[in-house]
Amino acid sequence: MRSIRFNGFTSISSGIKENNEMISAISDNIMSPLGLTTEENLRAVRAGRTALMKHEDVHGARLQESVVGSFFEELPAIEGYTAFEALCIRSVECALQGKDIDVSSKSCVFIVSTTKGNIWSSPADSAKKVAMYFGNEVQPIVVSTACTSGVSAQLTAWRLLIAKKFDTAVIVGCDVQSEFIVSGFQSFKALSDEQCRPFDKERKGLNAGEAAATLVLSSKVKGEWQLLGGSIHNDANHISGPSRTAEGSWRCLEDMKRLTDAEDLAMVSVHGTGTLYNDEMESLALHRAGLDRLPVSALKGYYGHTMGAAGLLETILSMHALDEDIILPSKGYTEQGTTYGVNLSQTERQSCGKSFIKLLSGFGGVNAAVAWTKAEAGNCGELQADRSKWEEVAEVRLSSSDNLKEIYKTAIGNYPKFYKMDTLAQLGFVGTELLLQKAGAEAESETTAIVMANHSASLKNDTDYEATISDKENYFPSPALFVYTLPNIVTGEIAIRQHIYGETAFYVLPSEDKLDVLIEATGMNPSVKTMITGWVECVAADNYTAHLRLLKRE
Amino acid sequence: MEINELKEQLKQQIINALNLEDLTPADIDDAAPLFGEGLGLDSIDALELLMVLDKNYGIKFHDRSQSKAVFASINAMAEYIEANRTK
Repeated sequence: MRSIRFNGFTSISSGIKENNEMISAISDNIMSPLGLTTEENLRAVRAGRTALMKHEDVHGARLQESVVGSFFEELPAIEGYTAFEALCIRSVECALQGKDIDVSSKSCVFIVSTTKGNIWSSPADSAKKVAMYFGNEVQPIVVSTACTSGVSAQLTAWRLLIAKKFDTAVIVGCDVQSEFIVSGFQSFKALSDEQCRPFDKERKGLNAGEAAATLVLSSKVKGEWQLLGGSIHNDANHISGPSRTAEGSWRCLEDMKRLTDAEDLAMVSVHGTGTLYNDEMESLALHRAGLDRLPVSALKGYYGHTMGAAGLLETILSMHALDEDIILPSKGYTEQGTTYGVNLSQTERQSCGKSFIKLLSGFGGVNAAVAWTKAEAGNCGELQADRSKWEEVAEVRLSSSDNLKEIYKTAIGNYPKFYKMDTLAQLGFVGTELLLQKAGAEAESETTAIVMANHSASLKNDTDYEATISDKENYFPSPALFVYTLPNIVTGEIAIRQHIYGETAFYVLPSEDKLDVLIEATGMNPSVKTMITGWVECVAADNYTAHLRLLKRE
Repeated sequence: MEINELKEQLKQQIINALNLEDLTPADIDDAAPLFGEGLGLDSIDALELLMVLDKNYGIKFHDRSQSKAVFASINAMAEYIEANRTK
């Protein structure tokens, strides 16, 4: 056993309240097919405009089946950068315009929220190019937790700023649509062939969307909106289907209730994808948390599902709407279509309150929420940062010479789901099993967090999925492969197996040593007592490596 | 193709497509339900089965609720394939 001392770890025992730490939003931008600035987007939504329309192709790539989506007519182009990188850059540029924010400083970190990035190259490399474009040499962080990425990224930024690792965070959320993504959602039968209708009785599914959104946070400069913190919980139920009992989203909402003053809470900005099961799950989560009378805002009817951008776009729009004292209308909603009613309206309403919650959920069973306020004294008592130390109780290393299937058969067994996993998930799964066996421990459901990372994201499985759509004569996109094109699925598989309702996170980083600061950040969550952490890299079926550690709070 | 031959072929296709590595066609009962307790299949498996039918037999479902009855058992699937296959 040895004690973990993270590099630069400062032992401050007092909570946030005593330190009077405040994390403010100091600038933002939304760049979407509805407009290139936040103001344009707010105006468009208030005017009831939607960018959702029928497309036969995505950026020139002809689709086998048409799709209703919100796509840019023309993506920004910057020589030497991919469309994804250029869109990130233009959004950040716009957020910084006319503001005196030094993003090239060593105390500023770039955090990129994306589900697919460029697909064929590491999003960590793209993030580096984006940061370097602005003269920032700090190693950027990529948060890749499926559809919750944009909210998880805000929580990561909050923790890094509270821990004084940085004083400024530029969070940019972005995804560019492609045949790859659209065909996958089609294979999942998740798409509506009409404009989506969140929470409505006639809802048929989601629409694909693309956008970039940037939010700049500061612990140094005070802005009107304060980020009070956030929460992540896994459903421990299924890698693509939401929990029938809303385990994760309900827990997130309960955490956010403790962060906010009930009288101040103006609304919950929900995920509201327009799918049958996810809307049903969210309505149950609100009901279980006793928040079902609170006004709710669902924005997918204007933008579709903008994936890595969604959490940021919807947070930013919520802030600006509340600045105008309004709850934005929810396009597509006419009649209650969930077991529990949700307080939605297709017309604009007056808002009452100075705080809101942003909630998201995604593949991998992950749910995430953040709470924001512009009230004078933010009630941020309970989810304060815990700075106690962590001790490593077990460690496991795996490499390509270890046959995962053999290890499963001889040391684990009786879990046929193992064979359905992609190599990355098998790697994390086997590693975690061995880790817990070594420690002679079982993972505690509520207090265990899973934090994993790698450099190549889901590259190996992306290649496998691509093979099912590359031949137009033999075009059968595989849903079972598509689901694993999100690297965070490995954390979901482990959560399901170990019944973990705690935090699950996945980062894409240049190298393993960059993971420590994020493990430390997760450790700030006082409800986490145990962490399963791991560097899980898989570039091909016969080329993988893993280093997992089991950490316990001292 | 004879119906029993079709059933055997279908079972092998299901085992391959759904990575049911611990099973052989002999382990799958023709009349037993495929979902629920049976083989422990889930919603992603159901989507993958749609693809199996499309790829191997040229059968497309436009109404997903229809597929539920078809996926009731190997018997139900084989009968449906015989009646509706386009390849």
